[in-house]
Order: sequence, then structure tokens, then C-alpha cells
Amino acid sequence: MNISTNVKSTWCPGCPNFMILAGVKKALENSGKKQNEMVIVSGIGCHAKIFDYLNLPGLNSLHGRVPPVCFGLKMGNPNLSVLGFSGDGDAYAEGLEHTIHSARYNSNWIYIVHNNQVFSLTTGQPTPTTEIGYKDKTTPLGVKTFPLNPIKLMLASGASFVARVFADIQQVENVIKEALKHKGFCFIEILQPCLIFHPETLKYKNKIYDLQKSGHKKQDFQAAMKKVEEFDYNEIKSDTKIPVGIFYQVQKPIFEEQFPQLQKLGPLGWKGIKR
Amino acid sequence: MRYNILFGGQAGQGPNILGEILGEALVKQGYYVFYSRDYQSLIRGGHNFNVLTFSDSPIHSNDSKIDVLVALDENTKKIHSTKMKKEGIILDGKHENMYFAGRLFKLLCLDFETLNQELRELKKKYEENLKNAKLGYEEETKNICHVKNQKNKIYFLNGSKEISQGAIESGLDVYYAYPMTPATPVLRELAEKQIEKNYLVLEPENEIAVINSAIGSAITGAKVMIGTSGGGFDLMTEGLSMAGIAGVPLVVYLAQRPGPASGVPTYTAQGDLNIARHAGHGEFPRMVLAPGDPIECRELTNQAFYFSQKYKIPCIVLNDKHLAESFYSLKEIPKIIKSQKTISLGKFNSYESTSEGISTEDSKRIEKNNIERLKKVWDIEKEAEKFIQYKNFGKKNSKNLIVSWGSTKGAILDAIQGLDTEFLQILYMEPFPKEILKFLKNKNIILIENNATAQLGQLITEKTGIFIEDKNKILRFDGRPFLADELNLEVKKRLN
Ligand SMILES: Cc1ncc(C[n+]2csc(CCOP(=O)(O)OP(=O)(O)O)c2C)c(N)n1
Repeated sequence: MNISTNVKSTWCPGCPNFMILAGVKKALENSGKKQNEMVIVSGIGCHAKIFDYLNLPGLNSLHGRVPPVCFGLKMGNPNLSVLGFSGDGDAYAEGLEHTIHSARYNSNWIYIVHNNQVFSLTTGQPTPTTEIGYKDKTTPLGVKTFPLNPIKLMLASGASFVARVFADIQQVENVIKEALKHKGFCFIEILQPCLIFHPETLKYKNKIYDLQKSGHKKQDFQAAMKKVEEFDYNEIKSDTKIPVGIFYQVQKPIFEEQFPQLQKLGPLGWKGIKR
Repeated sequence: MRYNILFGGQAGQGPNILGEILGEALVKQGYYVFYSRDYQSLIRGGHNFNVLTFSDSPIHSNDSKIDVLVALDENTKKIHSTKMKKEGIILDGKHENMYFAGRLFKLLCLDFETLNQELRELKKKYEENLKNAKLGYEEETKNICHVKNQKNKIYFLNGSKEISQGAIESGLDVYYAYPMTPATPVLRELAEKQIEKNYLVLEPENEIAVINSAIGSAITGAKVMIGTSGGGFDLMTEGLSMAGIAGVPLVVYLAQRPGPASGVPTYTAQGDLNIARHAGHGEFPRMVLAPGDPIECRELTNQAFYFSQKYKIPCIVLNDKHLAESFYSLKEIPKIIKSQKTISLGKFNSYESTSEGISTEDSKRIEKNNIERLKKVWDIEKEAEKFIQYKNFGKKNSKNLIVSWGSTKGAILDAIQGLDTEFLQILYMEPFPKEILKFLKNKNIILIENNATAQLGQLITEKTGIFIEDKNKILRFDGRPFLADELNLEVKKRLN
């Protein structure tokens, strides 16, 4: 299976989004799923262009609204494998409420957040995960607020699968493979340095270490809560190590499995119901 | 004959159930009943009242003058006794509400068994209710009229129930809503029947999630409806715009209450016609349908499903509190049409896109997409002509013409009895039936609306070039519906 399109990419040369795209393709092409069983949704931002580069159905939606669209797709047809792609602007600013509630609902879909710690497509303004002191043309006085720790937030909100990886083909492929196996809501943050507006974060590449290889037990919630404290998204220049991999994974009741109406639906979902 | 009975008391004292029992019983006897609720945005205490009007000929509204006042508390007497007719009767005292049911049934010469039957259907607290009802029935000595079976098959219908019924009959698969008065009764009604009728009802975290989830479900091919009132609708507008560009069928139930902002939550208004027509940035096809009674609620919801699926557009059913929460008695059988599920999962886009759904900034493509959207508008206009877009009542070809829309229909129908005027009710607000120009020309036009700025008046001017004189605009914007007797006087003043 090949899920590429022949659309010419408009990402900047060398953008880590290319690595993410390659990792996503490898994971999905080898997933054993048919092309019409997989659906993608994107928000608005540089990351969202991935919609045009994957030959899969879905919706290139609004800024911040990836989660409700993914949720709605599952309610329309629970048999679909749904992947949503957001930016940090999407997921943590414009649509934060949806991000939190998705963790709470635990519907079975995969939420991928490309976190470059800036609004890139609108030329580099700060997001909720930008470090203190960051300056751009709209914030000449510098960012004053401490960044949000999304991994901690997702753990606190009840997400049943919480992971963070770096924008590396292998890491992305592996984590999506794991997420496809998980039943329930999967939150995956990808550290995706923006070469233009936030190049310092490229150094993350050398600071990351693998949680699973270091013996972290992903079913241990307290251990996960400890691990998230190691990187606070603010100390981007220091040498502190950044844990990547699956922080937490547990089996929880799945939203759509609790509605008898949805249990009865065939491969076409409601579309297959004739009345 | 036309009698008005007002039931008043504190929230929690149960004036609603009294009126519903009497209404049901009268309809079964073949009488026409109109029953409305006036309640405050609180849960216990305060002052709520319901007015039941009944007659042996068709009626669709209440009057201001009261024949029987049922006062469950002292406050009710204080507030409403000034509106009593000369020979009016007040029922009061410290009693359970079914005691008053007993007295009322006796006052109308209904036999006790008809009441007993209603109490049985209530199921709850039957023995206790029966005891109280018996006491009231025995204690009442007067009667005001002799109700006897009219051998007339009438349905006791409510706006919200018929919206729900229309959605179910149209093949609803998923309904999303976030609670907001006065749209909530539809949510409740649909939620209750979801297992029996096999569809899904969900309440996501807010209205933004509601419309975006709805779009997600709709692109899988499901038939989807969402419901809200003004404030929630405001939050949905970006999603509405996305449904517009992506070509996603969506039925939007918009139940108006007085705005701006939180306005007056439990009262009525027709202030959202403009936003229904214009909400969402950019230019895209949509429909706005405005029912004026419960049968039209059912039919127009059904037509909204039909058009939204056929043309892949958002379609708004514009209701208001008065119609959503009042009970009407009607004889008509609604006309229901079938609609297909037209959507297959593909690439949908909130950006301008190619025919493959790929985002584009190509000028030719942008122009082409706009033309396609315009073409939908024209095609919808043409097909809508096959539907009943407006209705004429009253005296044909009179030199006077009343124009209105939505829930004001009821009071107008009652107010113009015997007057030299025609009444034009508009149901399709978008696409607007321009041919109504032929009725408007050279007429003394009287506009009646439940808003302050005459939004239908503006629309008529925009579409037909006809201006309605300010002195001929009867506008009510105090949150209350028109009452037939008062409206009759207002109309008379303006007749030629
Ligand atoms: C409602 C709304 N507000 C603002 C915008 C403008 N906008 C486009 S992209 C973007 C920021 C995207 O940032 P992020 O989600 O982090 O994605 P990135 O470009 O960094 O990949 C904004 C604010 C929009 N499209 N919609």
C-alpha cells in the first residue's frame, strides 16, 4: 500500500514535519489496515498540511477543532481508525478544552500534536508551551508566562495512553504502531523543532532518552507523574534530559463501546443503516 | 365559545401538570386547546403560570382576559386578578394541585371518569391524586359551561415534540446538543427515544464541540442534527462556515429566546432571523426554515433533512420558545418526504480545495468553487418553489395584508377572525419566496413580529424593494408572545 499523494510539499526545506510524515506513512502502510478504514483530521497550521500529503479520507478542519471532529467520526462509524494531527497552537491554545475532554471520554482514536512551541504558520508568535523570555515581533517585551506541561495535563485528565517522541522517523513509526494497538484515546506529542522560528529546540535531538529502555513502567501512574517533571518545556537551553516514549498506558472503558446503538453498526457505520 | 384558564404558582407546585391533564381531556372530547407556559429561570419558588384556552372551533393562542384563575399561591391572585373577566371565577386555598383538577372538571361539567382516566395515565401517586381530585370535584358547586363530546379527532401537539418527531421520521442517526433553553426539550425528547428508535444522542463539552463533532459524523454519511439557542449558535458559527465550504449536510435546530447575550432565558422572541441568515464568515449556501405551528415543525424539520442531504448544506430550523414549549391542538396530518444519505467518506476541507479535496490557492479553482456554491443557491431556490414556502389565510384579496413568520402565526390567526384582512405567513426565510411580491403590491401591509427591529420587514425590503411603514409595524419585544384579543385591537387600528 502507498498512501502518498503527488501534492508538492510547501513545508520549509529540512522541516522535521517531513520526518513525521515519513514515520506516519510507514506505520500506516504496514498496519494491515485498508486505505478506506483509516481517516485523518488536521487542524490549522504548518503541521496541518500533512492532510494534503496523505492519500487518506478525512477532514482538514478548523484551528483547534481536531478532537471533536475525530470524536464525531468515531460516533459516525466506530470501525474507522482515526488519526488527528494538531499543532501546539491548535491543541493547547485554541482547542485546549477539547484536548482535555478527549482524554476524559477515552474514545478510541489517536491524537498527534506537533509541538514546535510556536505558532509557525502565522510567523512565530508564542503558544502556551513557549519558554519565558521568548521574543518575536508581536512580543517585544518577551514571554512572561510559564509554559504548560501537556504530558502532565493529559495524565491528570485521565488519558489512557500518553506518549512523547522526537520528530524522528523511527520514533514516530514505533509510537503510532503502539497507539494503533491500544484500545482507547491515545495522546502523542511530537517534539517538532521549527527551524525558522525556534531553532534552539533542534538540540532536543541530543537530549532525549528512551523511557522504555531506561526501565520506566508505563502502567505505573505515579512513576509517569514523576517522569513528566524532568522536562518543563521552559529550560530549553539547559542540558536537562528529555524523556521520550510511552509515559503511561492503561486499559479504561472505551466511550463508543458503552452505547448499544454503536455496537450494532456494520463496516459503514450509520451510513449502512437503512430506515 | 372561548375560555381562558390561568394556572399559577411557585416553581415546583406543579401548575404544568394541571393544565396538561385538562388539555388532554378537552382534546379527547374534541375541543380545541391552546396551552402555553410562562416560567422564570429558577428551579423552586418564584412565580410561574400557564394559560389554557379552549374552544369548540380552531384556536391557536391565549387571550389576556381570564375566565378561571387557579391560584396555587397568594402571589398568583395578586398578580393576575386584575385580568379577570367580570363573571370570572377564582379557585384558591391551600390544597394539593389535583384538588383543583377536581374543581375544574366539575366547573366544565366533565364527568369524573374523564379525570380519573387522566390520573391513571399519570401513574405517579394515583391514590393520593384520586382522593384530592374527588374532594375538589365534590366541593365545586358552580359550572361555567357544559363540555360535551364534539366527535372531533384532534391531536394535542407540542412544537418540540414535533421537531423531534420530524427528525426521527427523516432518519436521524446522531443528535448532538449542549443544554440551552428553549432548545433543551428537543434534546430531552430525542434522548428518551434513542434506544427504541435506534439513533444516538450526545452532549459534548460545548457548542463548538457539538458542531465539529456533528461535522465529523456527517462526513461518514450519517444523518446528523444539532440543537441550540442564540448564545450556543454564536459559538457554532465557525463550524457552520466549515460545513458551508466543505459541503457537509447538517440540520441545525435553533430555538430563539430574547437576546442579546444571555437575554431572558425562559421567554420568547424572534430576534435571531438575521443571524440565522448571516451567521458564518464567507459566502455559502444555507437554508433557514421557520415553522409557525407544531405540524410545520415536523414538516420543516423533515424538509431540512431532505435539502441538507440533497445539496450538502447546513439547513437551519428556526423556532422560538413560544412554539417550542406551547401545546396546540391541530387536525392536519403532516406530509413527510424521504431523503437519501448522500455523503460518502472522502477528503473534505475547510480550505478551498480541488475536486480531490486538496487545499488550493489557485485563482481559477477558487472562482469555480464559488460558482458551484452559487449554483447550489440557484438550484435550491428553484426546487424550493415546489414546496410550501408561504401560506395565505384570512380574507383573500383584501386591501389589507398582514405579514409575519414563526410562532406569531397562532395569535394572528385568532386575532383576525372576522376582520377584513388577508394574512401571509412566510415559512422559507432562505431561500426567500420572491414571488410574494404579487401579494404585497398596492396593499396596506401590516407587519407583526416578536422583535424590536422588524427583521422580516428588513428581509422583505431587501428581497422585494417594498418598504413597510413604521406605523404599520406591530412589534412586541418584552419577551412575551402576542395575545389574540390585544392583537385584534392593534390590527383593527391599522386596517384600511
Ligand atoms: C480561529 C482561528 N484563529 C486564528 C487562525 C490563524 N492561525 C492559522 S495557523 C495558526 C497557528 C498555528 O499554530 P500551531 O497550531 O502551533 O501550528 P504550526 O503552524 O506551528 O504547525 C493560527 C493562529 C485561524 N486559522 N483560525
